[in-house]
Amino acid sequence: MKKSISGRRPWLASALAVALAAAALRRWQLSTAFDWLGLAVPGAQSSVILVCLLLMAGAWFVILAVYQPVSKRPWSAGQAHRWDLVFLDSGDLVYPVLVVAAAFLAAASIPMLLPMGLDQWQTYQAAVKAHLQPPSNNGVLTLATAVGALLAFLGLLQMGRDGLHPGRRGKGGFSAALPGVAGCVWLMESFRAHAADPVLWDYTPLLLAIACGMLFYMDFAGMSAGAARPRRLLWMAAMAAALSAVALVTAWMEGSWADVLLLLSQTIAAAAVLWRLPPNLENPPKLNGTPLPADGGEASIQEETTHE
Amino acid sequence: MDNWESEVEQGQAGQPAPGEKGQEGRQSGAQLRKEANPGKELYLNIRVLVTMMTIFVMIFTFVARIIVVSGPSMEATLWQGDLILVWSLGYEPERGDIVVLTQESYQEDSIVKRVIATEGQRVDVDYAAGTVSVDGVVLEEEYIKEQMLLPSWGEGINHVTVPEGCIFVMGDNRNESADSRYPDIGIVDVRCVIGHGLAVVFPFEHWKGL
Repeated sequence: MKKSISGRRPWLASALAVALAAAALRRWQLSTAFDWLGLAVPGAQSSVILVCLLLMAGAWFVILAVYQPVSKRPWSAGQAHRWDLVFLDSGDLVYPVLVVAAAFLAAASIPMLLPMGLDQWQTYQAAVKAHLQPPSNNGVLTLATAVGALLAFLGLLQMGRDGLHPGRRGKGGFSAALPGVAGCVWLMESFRAHAADPVLWDYTPLLLAIACGMLFYMDFAGMSAGAARPRRLLWMAAMAAALSAVALVTAWMEGSWADVLLLLSQTIAAAAVLWRLPPNLENPPKLNGTPLPADGGEASIQEETTHE
Repeated sequence: MDNWESEVEQGQAGQPAPGEKGQEGRQSGAQLRKEANPGKELYLNIRVLVTMMTIFVMIFTFVARIIVVSGPSMEATLWQGDLILVWSLGYEPERGDIVVLTQESYQEDSIVKRVIATEGQRVDVDYAAGTVSVDGVVLEEEYIKEQMLLPSWGEGINHVTVPEGCIFVMGDNRNESADSRYPDIGIVDVRCVIGHGLAVVFPFEHWKGL
Protein backbone atom coordinates (compact mmCIF):
# COMPACT_ATOMS: atom_id res chain seq x y z
CA MET A 1 0.00 0.00 0.00
CA LYS A 2 2.69 2.46 1.01
CA LYS A 3 4.83 1.68 -1.97
CA SER A 4 1.96 1.94 -4.41
CA ILE A 5 1.09 5.55 -3.51
CA SER A 6 4.54 6.91 -2.83
CA GLY A 7 6.13 9.51 -5.05
CA ARG A 8 4.84 12.62 -6.68
CA ARG A 9 2.35 11.15 -9.13
CA PRO A 10 -0.60 10.63 -6.76
CA TRP A 11 -0.12 14.06 -5.22
CA LEU A 12 0.11 15.91 -8.51
CA ALA A 13 -2.65 13.93 -10.19
CA SER A 14 -5.00 14.32 -7.23
CA ALA A 15 -4.30 18.01 -6.79
CA LEU A 16 -4.75 18.68 -10.50
CA ALA A 17 -7.99 16.67 -10.68
CA VAL A 18 -9.44 18.37 -7.62
CA ALA A 19 -8.39 21.81 -8.80
CA LEU A 20 -9.98 21.33 -12.22
CA ALA A 21 -13.16 19.85 -10.79
CA ALA A 22 -13.43 22.58 -8.16
CA ALA A 23 -12.90 25.30 -10.76
CA ALA A 24 -15.61 23.80 -12.97
CA LEU A 25 -17.99 23.55 -10.03
CA ARG A 26 -17.28 27.14 -9.06
CA ARG A 27 -18.05 28.21 -12.61
CA TRP A 28 -21.34 26.27 -12.44
CA GLN A 29 -22.09 27.76 -9.03
CA LEU A 30 -21.56 31.31 -10.26
CA SER A 31 -24.06 30.76 -13.05
CA THR A 32 -26.75 28.95 -11.02
CA ALA A 33 -26.44 29.58 -7.29
CA PHE A 34 -27.11 33.33 -7.18
CA ASP A 35 -30.38 35.15 -7.81
CA TRP A 36 -30.84 38.32 -9.87
CA LEU A 37 -29.84 40.46 -6.88
CA GLY A 38 -26.55 38.57 -6.56
CA LEU A 39 -27.63 36.94 -3.30
CA ALA A 40 -26.81 33.28 -2.72
CA VAL A 41 -29.65 30.80 -3.21
CA PRO A 42 -29.81 28.70 -0.02
CA GLY A 43 -29.04 25.02 -0.56
CA ALA A 44 -28.11 25.43 -4.23
CA GLN A 45 -26.97 22.12 -5.71
CA SER A 46 -23.71 23.47 -7.07
CA SER A 47 -22.74 25.00 -3.72
CA VAL A 48 -23.44 21.76 -1.87
CA ILE A 49 -21.45 19.69 -4.36
CA LEU A 50 -18.53 22.13 -4.28
CA VAL A 51 -18.34 21.96 -0.49
CA CYS A 52 -18.56 18.15 -0.60
CA LEU A 53 -15.80 17.98 -3.19
CA LEU A 54 -13.46 20.14 -1.11
CA LEU A 55 -14.19 18.13 2.04
CA MET A 56 -13.58 14.85 0.25
CA ALA A 57 -10.40 16.27 -1.29
CA GLY A 58 -9.20 17.29 2.16
CA ALA A 59 -9.84 13.78 3.43
CA TRP A 60 -8.11 12.19 0.44
CA PHE A 61 -5.06 14.40 0.91
CA VAL A 62 -4.95 13.35 4.56
CA ILE A 63 -4.86 9.71 3.43
CA LEU A 64 -2.07 10.47 0.98
CA ALA A 65 -0.14 12.33 3.66
CA VAL A 66 -0.51 9.54 6.19
CA TYR A 67 0.78 6.97 3.71
CA GLN A 68 3.54 9.23 2.41
CA PRO A 69 6.85 7.41 3.04
CA VAL A 70 9.24 9.63 4.99
CA SER A 71 12.82 8.53 5.48
CA LYS A 72 14.98 9.54 8.39
CA ARG A 73 16.08 13.14 8.43
CA PRO A 74 18.83 14.34 6.08
CA TRP A 75 22.06 14.45 8.00
CA SER A 76 25.54 15.62 7.34
CA ALA A 77 28.22 17.19 9.46
CA GLY A 78 27.40 20.76 10.44
CA GLN A 79 24.02 20.72 8.75
CA ALA A 80 21.87 18.87 11.21
CA HIS A 81 18.96 21.27 10.89
CA ARG A 82 18.73 21.49 7.14
CA TRP A 83 15.41 19.91 6.45
CA ASP A 84 15.22 21.90 3.22
CA LEU A 85 17.66 19.40 1.80
CA VAL A 86 14.63 17.39 0.86
CA PHE A 87 13.97 19.96 -1.87
CA LEU A 88 17.30 19.44 -3.56
CA ASP A 89 18.00 17.49 -6.69
CA SER A 90 20.84 18.69 -8.86
CA GLY A 91 19.50 16.92 -11.93
CA ASP A 92 15.99 18.33 -11.81
CA LEU A 93 15.18 21.77 -13.17
CA VAL A 94 11.42 21.57 -12.72
CA TYR A 95 11.35 22.64 -9.08
CA PRO A 96 13.52 25.77 -9.45
CA VAL A 97 11.80 26.74 -12.69
CA LEU A 98 8.36 26.49 -11.08
CA VAL A 99 9.43 28.46 -8.02
CA VAL A 100 11.08 31.19 -10.10
CA ALA A 101 7.94 31.38 -12.26
CA ALA A 102 5.89 31.78 -9.07
CA ALA A 103 8.25 34.57 -8.01
CA PHE A 104 7.78 36.51 -11.22
CA LEU A 105 4.01 36.05 -11.14
CA ALA A 106 4.01 37.62 -7.67
CA ALA A 107 6.19 40.44 -8.97
CA ALA A 108 3.83 41.02 -11.90
CA SER A 109 1.04 41.96 -9.49
CA ILE A 110 3.03 44.91 -8.12
CA PRO A 111 2.45 47.25 -11.12
CA MET A 112 -1.28 46.65 -10.69
CA LEU A 113 -1.46 47.05 -6.93
CA LEU A 114 0.72 50.16 -6.61
CA PRO A 115 -1.28 52.52 -8.89
CA MET A 116 -4.53 51.20 -7.41
CA GLY A 117 -3.33 51.87 -3.88
CA LEU A 118 -1.96 55.30 -4.75
CA ASP A 119 -5.23 56.24 -6.42
CA GLN A 120 -7.23 55.13 -3.39
CA TRP A 121 -4.87 57.06 -1.10
CA GLN A 122 -5.17 60.25 -3.14
CA THR A 123 -8.96 59.98 -3.33
CA TYR A 124 -9.13 59.53 0.41
CA GLN A 125 -6.84 62.48 1.10
CA ALA A 126 -8.78 64.70 -1.29
CA ALA A 127 -12.04 63.86 0.49
CA VAL A 128 -10.47 64.62 3.87
CA LYS A 129 -9.12 67.96 2.66
CA ALA A 130 -12.50 68.91 1.20
CA HIS A 131 -14.19 67.99 4.51
CA LEU A 132 -16.33 65.41 2.73
CA GLN A 133 -17.21 61.92 3.98
CA PRO A 134 -14.04 59.99 3.03
CA PRO A 135 -14.30 56.57 1.34
CA SER A 136 -13.93 53.58 3.62
CA ASN A 137 -10.73 52.50 1.85
CA ASN A 138 -7.69 54.75 2.28
CA GLY A 139 -5.48 52.56 0.09
CA VAL A 140 -2.92 51.72 2.76
CA LEU A 141 -3.65 47.98 2.73
CA THR A 142 -3.49 47.89 -1.07
CA LEU A 143 -0.08 49.56 -0.96
CA ALA A 144 1.01 47.16 1.77
CA THR A 145 -0.12 44.25 -0.40
CA ALA A 146 2.13 45.56 -3.17
CA VAL A 147 5.05 45.64 -0.74
CA GLY A 148 4.09 42.13 0.34
CA ALA A 149 4.12 40.97 -3.27
CA LEU A 150 7.67 42.34 -3.54
CA LEU A 151 8.67 40.37 -0.43
CA ALA A 152 7.05 37.27 -1.90
CA PHE A 153 9.00 37.80 -5.10
CA LEU A 154 12.30 38.02 -3.23
CA GLY A 155 11.53 35.02 -1.04
CA LEU A 156 10.43 32.83 -3.92
CA LEU A 157 13.39 33.91 -6.02
CA GLN A 158 15.75 32.87 -3.23
CA MET A 159 14.01 29.50 -3.01
CA GLY A 160 14.43 29.06 -6.75
CA ARG A 161 18.12 29.99 -6.57
CA ASP A 162 18.68 27.36 -3.92
CA GLY A 163 17.06 24.82 -6.19
CA LEU A 164 19.49 25.76 -8.94
CA HIS A 165 22.51 25.56 -6.62
CA PRO A 166 21.76 22.62 -4.36
CA GLY A 167 23.76 22.32 -1.21
CA ARG A 168 25.31 25.79 -1.38
CA ARG A 169 23.01 27.94 0.70
CA GLY A 170 20.40 25.83 2.35
CA LYS A 171 18.29 28.76 3.51
CA GLY A 172 15.88 28.64 0.64
CA GLY A 173 13.17 26.98 2.68
CA PHE A 174 13.26 29.75 5.27
CA SER A 175 12.77 32.30 2.49
CA ALA A 176 9.28 30.85 2.17
CA ALA A 177 8.37 32.78 5.30
CA LEU A 178 8.42 35.97 3.21
CA PRO A 179 5.47 35.07 0.95
CA GLY A 180 3.78 33.68 4.06
CA VAL A 181 4.06 37.03 5.81
CA ALA A 182 3.06 38.84 2.61
CA GLY A 183 -0.07 36.69 2.61
CA CYS A 184 -1.09 38.28 5.94
CA VAL A 185 -1.42 41.68 4.30
CA TRP A 186 -3.12 40.25 1.24
CA LEU A 187 -5.59 38.43 3.50
CA MET A 188 -6.36 41.62 5.44
CA GLU A 189 -6.83 43.61 2.25
CA SER A 190 -9.08 40.95 0.75
CA PHE A 191 -11.20 40.81 3.89
CA ARG A 192 -11.41 44.60 4.06
CA ALA A 193 -12.48 44.80 0.43
CA HIS A 194 -15.37 42.41 1.08
CA ALA A 195 -16.22 43.29 4.68
CA ALA A 196 -19.51 44.87 3.63
CA ASP A 197 -20.48 42.01 1.34
CA PRO A 198 -23.23 39.94 3.01
CA VAL A 199 -22.77 37.07 0.52
CA LEU A 200 -20.10 34.81 2.02
CA TRP A 201 -19.83 32.76 -1.16
CA ASP A 202 -18.57 35.86 -3.00
CA TYR A 203 -15.29 36.01 -1.16
CA THR A 204 -14.86 33.05 1.18
CA PRO A 205 -13.02 30.93 -1.45
CA LEU A 206 -10.48 33.74 -1.87
CA LEU A 207 -9.92 34.12 1.87
CA LEU A 208 -9.57 30.36 2.35
CA ALA A 209 -7.14 30.13 -0.56
CA ILE A 210 -4.97 32.92 0.84
CA ALA A 211 -5.06 31.46 4.35
CA CYS A 212 -4.17 28.00 3.10
CA GLY A 213 -1.37 29.50 1.00
CA MET A 214 0.02 31.36 4.01
CA LEU A 215 0.07 28.23 6.14
CA PHE A 216 1.59 26.26 3.28
CA TYR A 217 4.42 28.78 2.96
CA MET A 218 5.00 28.75 6.72
CA ASP A 219 5.27 24.96 6.77
CA PHE A 220 7.62 25.27 3.82
CA ALA A 221 9.76 27.69 5.82
CA GLY A 222 9.65 25.35 8.80
CA MET A 223 11.51 22.74 6.77
CA SER A 224 14.72 24.73 7.20
CA ALA A 225 14.02 26.13 10.64
CA GLY A 226 14.07 22.95 12.71
CA ALA A 227 10.28 22.66 12.71
CA ALA A 228 9.63 20.33 9.81
CA ARG A 229 6.12 19.05 9.20
CA PRO A 230 6.48 17.46 5.78
CA ARG A 231 3.15 15.63 5.77
CA ARG A 232 1.22 18.74 6.75
CA LEU A 233 3.19 20.72 4.18
CA LEU A 234 2.11 18.31 1.46
CA TRP A 235 -1.53 18.53 2.60
CA MET A 236 -1.40 22.33 2.73
CA ALA A 237 0.19 22.52 -0.72
CA ALA A 238 -2.48 20.30 -2.26
CA MET A 239 -5.32 22.20 -0.57
CA ALA A 240 -3.78 25.56 -1.48
CA ALA A 241 -3.78 24.47 -5.13
CA ALA A 242 -7.41 23.28 -4.96
CA LEU A 243 -8.74 26.36 -3.14
CA SER A 244 -6.73 28.70 -5.35
CA ALA A 245 -8.38 27.16 -8.41
CA VAL A 246 -11.82 28.00 -6.95
CA ALA A 247 -10.77 31.54 -6.13
CA LEU A 248 -9.10 31.97 -9.51
CA VAL A 249 -12.40 31.51 -11.33
CA THR A 250 -14.00 34.36 -9.38
CA ALA A 251 -10.97 36.63 -9.66
CA TRP A 252 -10.76 35.98 -13.40
CA MET A 253 -14.45 36.70 -13.99
CA GLU A 254 -14.33 39.87 -11.87
CA GLY A 255 -11.14 41.04 -13.59
CA SER A 256 -9.16 41.22 -10.34
CA TRP A 257 -5.89 40.67 -12.12
CA ALA A 258 -3.66 41.26 -9.12
CA ASP A 259 -5.51 38.49 -7.27
CA VAL A 260 -5.27 36.27 -10.36
CA LEU A 261 -1.48 36.67 -10.47
CA LEU A 262 -0.99 36.16 -6.75
CA LEU A 263 -3.24 33.08 -6.76
CA LEU A 264 -1.39 31.67 -9.75
CA SER A 265 1.89 32.32 -7.97
CA GLN A 266 0.94 30.33 -4.88
CA THR A 267 -0.61 27.56 -7.00
CA ILE A 268 2.62 27.12 -8.94
CA ALA A 269 4.68 27.22 -5.74
CA ALA A 270 2.41 24.51 -4.34
CA ALA A 271 2.88 22.46 -7.51
CA ALA A 272 6.66 22.81 -7.11
CA VAL A 273 6.47 21.40 -3.60
CA LEU A 274 4.24 18.54 -4.73
CA TRP A 275 6.74 17.84 -7.50
CA ARG A 276 9.91 17.83 -5.42
CA LEU A 277 9.03 16.88 -1.87
CA PRO A 278 7.40 13.41 -2.06
CA PRO A 279 10.20 11.58 -3.91
CA ASN A 280 12.89 13.30 -1.84
CA LEU A 281 11.16 12.44 1.41
CA GLU A 282 11.27 8.82 0.40
CA ASN A 283 14.78 8.86 -1.03
CA PRO A 284 16.88 11.68 0.44
CA PRO A 285 18.97 13.45 -2.21
CA LYS A 286 22.71 13.71 -2.49
CA LEU A 287 24.47 16.70 -0.99
CA ASN A 288 27.54 17.87 -2.91
CA GLY A 289 27.82 14.45 -4.49
CA THR A 290 27.69 12.59 -1.17
CA PRO A 291 24.64 10.39 -0.67
CA LEU A 292 22.75 11.16 2.50
CA PRO A 293 22.47 8.08 4.67
CA ALA A 294 18.92 6.87 4.84
CA ASP A 295 19.14 6.09 8.56
CA GLY A 296 21.68 8.67 9.52
CA GLY A 297 19.44 10.83 11.69
CA GLU A 298 18.91 10.39 15.37
CA ALA A 299 15.21 10.98 15.11
CA SER A 300 12.71 10.90 12.30
CA ILE A 301 11.05 14.07 11.07
CA GLN A 302 7.80 13.14 12.74
CA GLU A 303 9.48 12.48 16.05
CA GLU A 304 11.03 15.90 16.07
CA THR A 305 7.77 17.71 15.36
CA THR A 306 6.13 16.18 18.40
CA HIS A 307 8.65 17.92 20.68
CA GLU A 308 7.78 21.44 19.61
CA MET B 1 25.32 22.74 16.33
CA ASP B 2 25.52 18.99 16.52
CA ASN B 3 26.34 19.15 20.26
CA TRP B 4 23.40 21.47 20.76
CA GLU B 5 21.07 18.98 19.12
CA SER B 6 22.08 16.15 21.40
CA GLU B 7 21.80 18.30 24.53
CA VAL B 8 18.30 19.44 23.65
CA GLU B 9 17.14 15.93 23.02
CA GLN B 10 18.46 14.83 26.40
CA GLY B 11 16.69 17.73 28.10
CA GLN B 12 13.43 17.06 26.36
CA ALA B 13 13.52 13.45 27.36
CA GLY B 14 13.88 14.48 30.98
CA GLN B 15 17.34 12.94 31.27
CA PRO B 16 20.05 15.17 32.71
CA ALA B 17 23.06 15.99 30.60
CA PRO B 18 26.44 14.78 31.91
CA GLY B 19 27.38 16.72 35.01
CA GLU B 20 23.85 18.10 35.53
CA LYS B 21 20.76 16.88 37.30
CA GLY B 22 17.01 16.97 36.64
CA GLN B 23 15.55 20.48 36.31
CA GLU B 24 18.95 22.09 35.89
CA GLY B 25 19.65 19.88 32.92
CA ARG B 26 16.35 20.78 31.30
CA GLN B 27 16.84 24.51 31.92
CA SER B 28 20.30 24.32 30.48
CA GLY B 29 18.96 22.56 27.39
CA ALA B 30 16.21 25.14 26.92
CA GLN B 31 18.63 28.02 27.33
CA LEU B 32 21.03 26.51 24.86
CA ARG B 33 18.19 25.93 22.44
CA LYS B 34 17.26 29.63 22.48
CA GLU B 35 20.83 30.80 22.26
CA ALA B 36 21.89 28.33 19.62
CA ASN B 37 19.04 28.64 17.14
CA PRO B 38 17.73 32.19 16.78
CA GLY B 39 16.48 31.26 13.30
CA LYS B 40 14.07 28.75 14.75
CA GLU B 41 12.88 31.21 17.41
CA LEU B 42 12.28 33.81 14.73
CA TYR B 43 10.46 31.28 12.59
CA LEU B 44 8.24 30.16 15.46
CA ASN B 45 7.33 33.78 16.27
CA ILE B 46 6.46 34.48 12.64
CA ARG B 47 4.42 31.29 12.46
CA VAL B 48 2.42 32.36 15.52
CA LEU B 49 1.80 35.74 13.88
CA VAL B 50 0.63 34.16 10.63
CA THR B 51 -1.54 31.59 12.39
CA MET B 52 -3.16 34.23 14.61
CA MET B 53 -3.84 36.41 11.59
CA THR B 54 -5.51 33.50 9.83
CA ILE B 55 -7.63 32.67 12.87
CA PHE B 56 -8.69 36.30 13.37
CA VAL B 57 -9.76 36.74 9.76
CA MET B 58 -11.66 33.45 9.77
CA ILE B 59 -13.45 34.45 12.99
CA PHE B 60 -14.24 37.88 11.51
CA THR B 61 -15.58 36.21 8.37
CA PHE B 62 -17.73 33.46 9.82
CA VAL B 63 -18.42 34.27 13.47
CA ALA B 64 -18.22 37.88 14.58
CA ARG B 65 -16.63 41.12 13.48
CA ILE B 66 -16.04 44.67 14.62
CA ILE B 67 -17.48 47.52 12.57
CA VAL B 68 -17.26 51.29 12.87
CA VAL B 69 -20.46 53.30 12.97
CA SER B 70 -20.52 56.03 10.35
CA GLY B 71 -23.24 58.68 10.28
CA PRO B 72 -25.91 59.87 12.71
CA SER B 73 -28.83 57.60 11.76
CA MET B 74 -28.70 55.48 14.92
CA GLU B 75 -28.27 58.29 17.45
CA ALA B 76 -28.81 58.28 20.39
CA THR B 77 -28.15 54.53 20.61
CA LEU B 78 -24.97 54.54 18.48
CA TRP B 79 -22.71 57.47 17.72
CA GLN B 80 -20.39 58.29 14.86
CA GLY B 81 -17.10 56.44 15.40
CA ASP B 82 -18.44 53.83 17.82
CA LEU B 83 -17.00 50.34 17.34
CA ILE B 84 -19.62 47.64 17.65
CA LEU B 85 -19.28 43.88 17.94
CA VAL B 86 -21.42 42.17 15.32
CA TRP B 87 -22.40 38.49 15.56
CA SER B 88 -22.91 36.70 12.22
CA LEU B 89 -22.89 32.95 12.85
CA GLY B 90 -26.35 31.45 12.56
CA TYR B 91 -28.15 34.75 13.10
CA GLU B 92 -31.83 35.16 12.18
CA PRO B 93 -33.16 38.74 12.47
CA GLU B 94 -35.77 39.42 15.14
CA ARG B 95 -37.84 42.49 15.85
CA GLY B 96 -35.99 45.08 17.91
CA ASP B 97 -32.51 43.81 17.01
CA ILE B 98 -29.86 46.22 15.79
CA VAL B 99 -28.50 44.77 12.56
CA VAL B 100 -25.70 45.52 10.12
CA LEU B 101 -26.75 45.07 6.51
CA THR B 102 -25.74 46.01 2.99
CA GLN B 103 -28.29 47.16 0.46
CA GLU B 104 -26.35 47.64 -2.77
CA SER B 105 -29.22 49.52 -4.40
CA TYR B 106 -28.44 52.28 -1.87
CA GLN B 107 -24.68 52.06 -1.26
CA GLU B 108 -21.88 49.51 -1.25
CA ASP B 109 -20.93 50.11 2.38
CA SER B 110 -22.90 48.46 5.13
CA ILE B 111 -25.45 50.33 7.24
CA VAL B 112 -26.67 49.90 10.81
CA LYS B 113 -30.42 49.90 11.54
CA ARG B 114 -33.00 48.49 13.93
CA VAL B 115 -35.41 45.74 12.83
CA ILE B 116 -38.95 47.07 13.14
CA ALA B 117 -40.85 44.18 11.56
CA THR B 118 -40.14 40.74 10.14
CA GLU B 119 -41.84 38.70 7.43
CA GLY B 120 -45.62 38.74 7.38
CA GLN B 121 -45.98 41.74 9.68
CA ARG B 122 -47.83 44.91 8.70
CA VAL B 123 -46.01 48.22 9.19
CA ASP B 124 -47.78 51.59 9.28
CA VAL B 125 -45.80 54.79 9.69
CA ASP B 126 -47.92 57.74 10.80
CA TYR B 127 -46.04 61.00 10.37
CA ALA B 128 -48.88 63.11 11.73
CA ALA B 129 -48.80 61.26 15.04
CA GLY B 130 -45.08 60.51 14.83
CA THR B 131 -45.71 56.83 15.51
CA VAL B 132 -44.92 53.44 13.98
CA SER B 133 -47.42 50.57 14.22
CA VAL B 134 -46.71 46.89 13.68
CA ASP B 135 -49.77 44.71 13.08
CA GLY B 136 -51.93 47.59 14.28
CA VAL B 137 -50.13 48.05 17.60
CA VAL B 138 -48.33 51.35 18.13
CA LEU B 139 -44.72 50.72 19.19
CA GLU B 140 -43.43 52.26 22.39
CA GLU B 141 -40.01 53.35 21.22
CA GLU B 142 -37.89 54.68 24.05
CA TYR B 143 -34.78 54.35 21.93
CA ILE B 144 -35.62 56.99 19.28
CA LYS B 145 -33.75 60.28 19.44
CA GLU B 146 -36.68 62.64 18.79
CA GLN B 147 -40.19 62.65 17.42
CA MET B 148 -40.45 61.57 13.79
CA LEU B 149 -41.23 64.22 11.17
CA LEU B 150 -42.07 63.91 7.47
CA PRO B 151 -38.78 63.30 5.62
CA SER B 152 -37.55 65.54 2.82
CA TRP B 153 -38.12 62.77 0.24
CA GLY B 154 -41.80 62.45 1.18
CA GLU B 155 -43.67 59.67 2.88
CA GLY B 156 -41.87 56.92 0.97
CA ILE B 157 -42.78 53.39 1.98
CA ASN B 158 -45.01 53.88 5.01
CA HIS B 159 -47.79 51.27 4.73
CA VAL B 160 -46.53 47.83 3.84
CA THR B 161 -46.75 44.15 4.71
CA VAL B 162 -43.25 42.69 4.93
CA PRO B 163 -42.79 39.90 2.35
CA GLU B 164 -41.41 36.47 3.16
CA GLY B 165 -37.69 36.40 3.87
CA CYS B 166 -37.51 40.18 4.40
CA ILE B 167 -37.36 42.72 7.21
CA PHE B 168 -38.38 46.36 7.67
CA VAL B 169 -35.64 48.44 9.30
CA MET B 170 -35.42 51.98 10.63
CA GLY B 171 -32.78 54.16 12.24
CA ASP B 172 -33.26 55.36 15.81
CA ASN B 173 -32.63 58.93 14.66
CA ARG B 174 -35.76 58.93 12.49
CA ASN B 175 -35.25 62.40 11.08
CA GLU B 176 -31.72 61.72 9.81
CA SER B 177 -32.03 58.13 8.71
CA ALA B 178 -32.29 56.58 5.28
CA ASP B 179 -33.99 53.28 6.02
CA SER B 180 -36.81 51.03 4.78
CA ARG B 181 -39.01 54.07 4.29
CA TYR B 182 -36.57 55.36 1.70
CA PRO B 183 -37.36 53.83 -1.71
CA ASP B 184 -33.70 53.12 -2.61
CA ILE B 185 -33.41 50.90 0.46
CA GLY B 186 -36.96 49.65 0.95
CA ILE B 187 -37.75 46.26 2.41
CA VAL B 188 -34.51 44.35 3.04
CA ASP B 189 -33.88 40.71 2.16
CA VAL B 190 -32.60 38.87 5.25
CA ARG B 191 -29.72 37.55 3.16
CA CYS B 192 -28.43 41.14 3.04
CA VAL B 193 -27.97 41.10 6.81
CA ILE B 194 -24.35 40.67 7.89
CA GLY B 195 -25.07 40.26 11.57
CA HIS B 196 -26.56 41.40 14.84
CA GLY B 197 -25.00 44.22 16.87
CA LEU B 198 -24.16 42.79 20.28
CA ALA B 199 -22.33 45.58 22.07
CA VAL B 200 -20.49 48.86 21.71
CA VAL B 201 -16.87 47.98 22.48
CA PHE B 202 -15.17 51.33 21.90
CA PRO B 203 -14.91 54.09 23.06
CA PHE B 204 -15.11 52.66 26.53
CA GLU B 205 -17.38 55.42 27.82
CA HIS B 206 -20.01 54.29 25.28
CA TRP B 207 -19.65 50.62 26.24
CA LYS B 208 -23.02 48.85 26.51
CA GLY B 209 -24.89 45.83 25.31
CA LEU B 210 -27.29 46.32 22.43
